Amino acid sequence: MAADVHNKGVSWEIKNGNLAPSDRLRQDRSDSPTPGLVEGTEPGAGQEGAMFVHAQSFEDLTADSESNTDNKSAEVGDSNPENAQKAALEGGEEEVQEESLEAEQEEVGKEEVQSSNKAKEEDVTSETWRSHRKHVFVLSEAGKPIYTRYGTEEALSSIMGVMMLLMSFVEDKKNTIRSIHADGYRVVFLRKSPLILVGVFRTSCSDRELTRELHYVYYQIVSLLTLTQLNHVFQNRQSYDLRRLLAGSEHLTDSLLRLLDRDPGLLLSAVMCLPLASSARDVVSSSLQAAKAKNLVFSILLAGNRLVTLVRKKDQFLHHMDLHLLFNLVVSSSSFREGEGWTPICLPKFNPAGFFHAHISYLEPASDLCLILVSTDREDFFNLSDCKKRFLERLRRRSAYQSLQEALNMPSYPVSQVGIPELRHFVYKSKSSGLYTSPDLPAPYQEEEEHERLMGLYQHLHSCLHNPTRPLRYIYRCAETENLYALVTSGFELYLCFSPLGTKGLAVSAVNKLLKWIRKEEDRLFILSPLTY
Amino acid sequence: MKVTNVYHNSYDLLSIPKAQARLFFTSRYVDTILVGDSGVGKTSLLVQFDQGKFIPGSFSATVGIGFTVMLLGDSAVGKTCVLVRFKDGAFLGGNFIATVGIDFRNKVVTVDNMKVKLQIWDTAGQERFRSVTHAYYRDAQALLLLYDITRKSSFDNIRAWLTEIYEYAQKDVVIMLLGNKSDMTAERVITHEEGEKLAKQYGVPFMETSAKTGVNVELAFHAIARELKHRNLQQPHEPKFKIHDYIESQKQKSSCCGSLV
Repeated sequence: MAADVHNKGVSWEIKNGNLAPSDRLRQDRSDSPTPGLVEGTEPGAGQEGAMFVHAQSFEDLTADSESNTDNKSAEVGDSNPENAQKAALEGGEEEVQEESLEAEQEEVGKEEVQSSNKAKEEDVTSETWRSHRKHVFVLSEAGKPIYTRYGTEEALSSIMGVMMLLMSFVEDKKNTIRSIHADGYRVVFLRKSPLILVGVFRTSCSDRELTRELHYVYYQIVSLLTLTQLNHVFQNRQSYDLRRLLAGSEHLTDSLLRLLDRDPGLLLSAVMCLPLASSARDVVSSSLQAAKAKNLVFSILLAGNRLVTLVRKKDQFLHHMDLHLLFNLVVSSSSFREGEGWTPICLPKFNPAGFFHAHISYLEPASDLCLILVSTDREDFFNLSDCKKRFLERLRRRSAYQSLQEALNMPSYPVSQVGIPELRHFVYKSKSSGLYTSPDLPAPYQEEEEHERLMGLYQHLHSCLHNPTRPLRYIYRCAETENLYALVTSGFELYLCFSPLGTKGLAVSAVNKLLKWIRKEEDRLFILSPLTY
Repeated sequence: MKVTNVYHNSYDLLSIPKAQARLFFTSRYVDTILVGDSGVGKTSLLVQFDQGKFIPGSFSATVGIGFTVMLLGDSAVGKTCVLVRFKDGAFLGGNFIATVGIDFRNKVVTVDNMKVKLQIWDTAGQERFRSVTHAYYRDAQALLLLYDITRKSSFDNIRAWLTEIYEYAQKDVVIMLLGNKSDMTAERVITHEEGEKLAKQYGVPFMETSAKTGVNVELAFHAIARELKHRNLQQPHEPKFKIHDYIESQKQKSSCCGSLV
């Protein structure tokens, strides 16, 4: 589907077993990197092109696309949300959308009354329920509740009714409601027929970031049912209670929402690799490549939330979002640890109409290494189970298992390895490979709250860099507890967090030093030679 | 019995009764035979000799026969908990986490000194996984059909499950009905008699189990294993194994013990 995006007219097919980098690339790579690097030669760029489909090639990932030309106004500050809204005209879609300010304030008031009423009927007291930072609601176009992050859906059916009303009220006037800003809250609406998603956030993030999160929730639901089934169900009966089909999947959506707060990969549309000596990774990759089967499309080895390797069928690309959904499935289900799991899963970015079948198992119950084999055939379980056995045998025979285990037991890497004293943390994404790298979180950010705060800061920088009307090349921000620097080039995106004692000059010079370090370590930190069957 | 072709034709034997084992020894190709108790390291020795290395932590009994057992029933009746109780002797307390798709595990049980390998499919009860469950029905030689004694809907759905079983499963599949969560006496809504009556109607054996206390869990799997083993390896002069009688006799025992405690 998206293969043409990546081929760029260069054939990178390598012969089986020949993992040595080609000479041409070595030459390009030997130059010391500068921030003006072109895509494809930045540190971490894959030698055989990308493993992943680029987010930019997809219509509905507006939040991630840089070339997006919608003329939504930039947000100057939180003080002036009305301005931003007034100008919130979206040119990218069929309709011109704007919001009525009057309706806005009035309705928000209404909603708050509603929510406090509803909260009493729940286990949680109204204050705790209301004080959650991020609420996400999913409802059907008939206004039936499908999912709420907190509380029970039944107790919220009238608040969902209000959301529905708001939406249809604006739509009645040939408009689309996008968001409501009031009293420090942002209520973001997303209509993905036949579903409606509403987020109520207490955050300073831009609407685009929030809509992106709603998109994730939408795709999570599609991955469980396929879009075809979803449409079919509601075509037959508009008032269908979708919770029947989604039973038992609530924790998946809960876990996804937690990931969105913590994992920079979901923000950057990228995936992190397990740091591993390239020789060891090559052995693992080629073992996985050798354990193939007729209907196998993707073989993915994960170590916790990090990718060890991915082998794919020739010309088939996995979208990073699909990988995040797979990853979310694995981390939020405990049953794969003991046995071998076999489940239908739709990879909505690959094909929203059909199911793949995934064989999911941990290499050992106690280890964090999880193997996902994705096949097109529902009856392929035993074939894939056999693939896993062959992979393990090969791995043991080439004694790569031990080094893999060792790499796994070690923490990722401390930021001190880079040798920049004021640097606390960074996130570096190589655009062409769709992979990112980031050191372990240092002391002040290890606590959950601080971790999420740092991610919030990065998210803010991200939305500044990718502002649709005034995209920035770099931004330096001094805050009370840290100084932040972010920059984007055609080849990479980089977010740095310095101690508050750092200076701007230091930050700028740190970038070059860091890029050199990443270049030096790239074959450990990234997957440079992705394989295909 | 597993035959591994190495330089010497070595045969790795499990500890099966001598009478049966002797049958295999008549082969003239046998040069070396490894015999000894289970777990002493016959296979490891062979692997060391064959491939020159030791594989730690991978003990899997060399077994002669294997059967596929599938756990079915509505969502949240305790299928995974029953399996974990049987497999690891533990109870999965705390939050309910739904099984995703189907989950495949192995367990070796001993029936009359013979190792029987059970391949157990733990299925998700949710509707959206039905199609994937159907695809594997026909591989199963035995089905454990569960309901929750504290939830009427799960009991009412048993008929629907049985209809489905007759449609997709093998004709001679062994079915057993289990009323799970028998420890929750205060919340019970389905009586033991109701369960028994339904089972009788369909001619399937029935018992109440508790994954939490372990009551009858072991028995359910062992009865299945015994039945399947007898079906497969029945000698002509041997009397037919009666799973109903076996369960009755064993159940009596466990309830006696229970009352003593």
